[in-house]
Amino acid sequence: MAKIKWEKDFKSAVELAAKNHKQVFQDFWFDG
Amino acid sequence: MDTGPYSDEKVQKYLEEQFVSVKSQCFWDKRTELMKQFDVSWTPTLLVHDATGKEHHRVVGFVPPEDFLAHLKLGRGKMFFNRFRFAEAVEALTEALEQHPDSGPTPETIFFLGVAKYWKTHDPKGLRWAYDTLAARFPQSEWTRRAGPYKQIPR
Repeated sequence: MAKIKWEKDFKSAVELAAKNHKQVFQDFWFDG
Repeated sequence: MDTGPYSDEKVQKYLEEQFVSVKSQCFWDKRTELMKQFDVSWTPTLLVHDATGKEHHRVVGFVPPEDFLAHLKLGRGKMFFNRFRFAEAVEALTEALEQHPDSGPTPETIFFLGVAKYWKTHDPKGLRWAYDTLAARFPQSEWTRRAGPYKQIPR
């Protein structure tokens, strides 16, 4: 199973996406 | 632990192959800089960005698992579309349509696929195809109304 590797920092996610020729998926969530 | 649509193996695989995934927590009493940057005022808010951090697709509210992959694929197609990479847009949107023909975002997918076909070939039949397909399958959709002018184009 390919578990999702969640980044916590948006800037790091963008840098990682650029490096790996991918897009960024961002989930804004609320722990209510 | 991944829950909801994230527990689906197909979603996990697609996210790992095509995206870098990031979770951004919201605080209503003290909005974060990212909430302000992307005008987030309800959750869940799901965004698809390109590799520069520019937003190309947004979904606000609960997404049923059966629609989740369709939204990711539509977002990927719209990223190519917005960057004038129309051959790749046609490929991504065709995959979205073929693999998720009855999902929530299908009408929007058909609309952008028709326009991407037009830009790719400069043949207006792509636009007419979009109108005909939308009118036949989703007559009440807003996307059918947006494609309305294309019914003037000869088949």
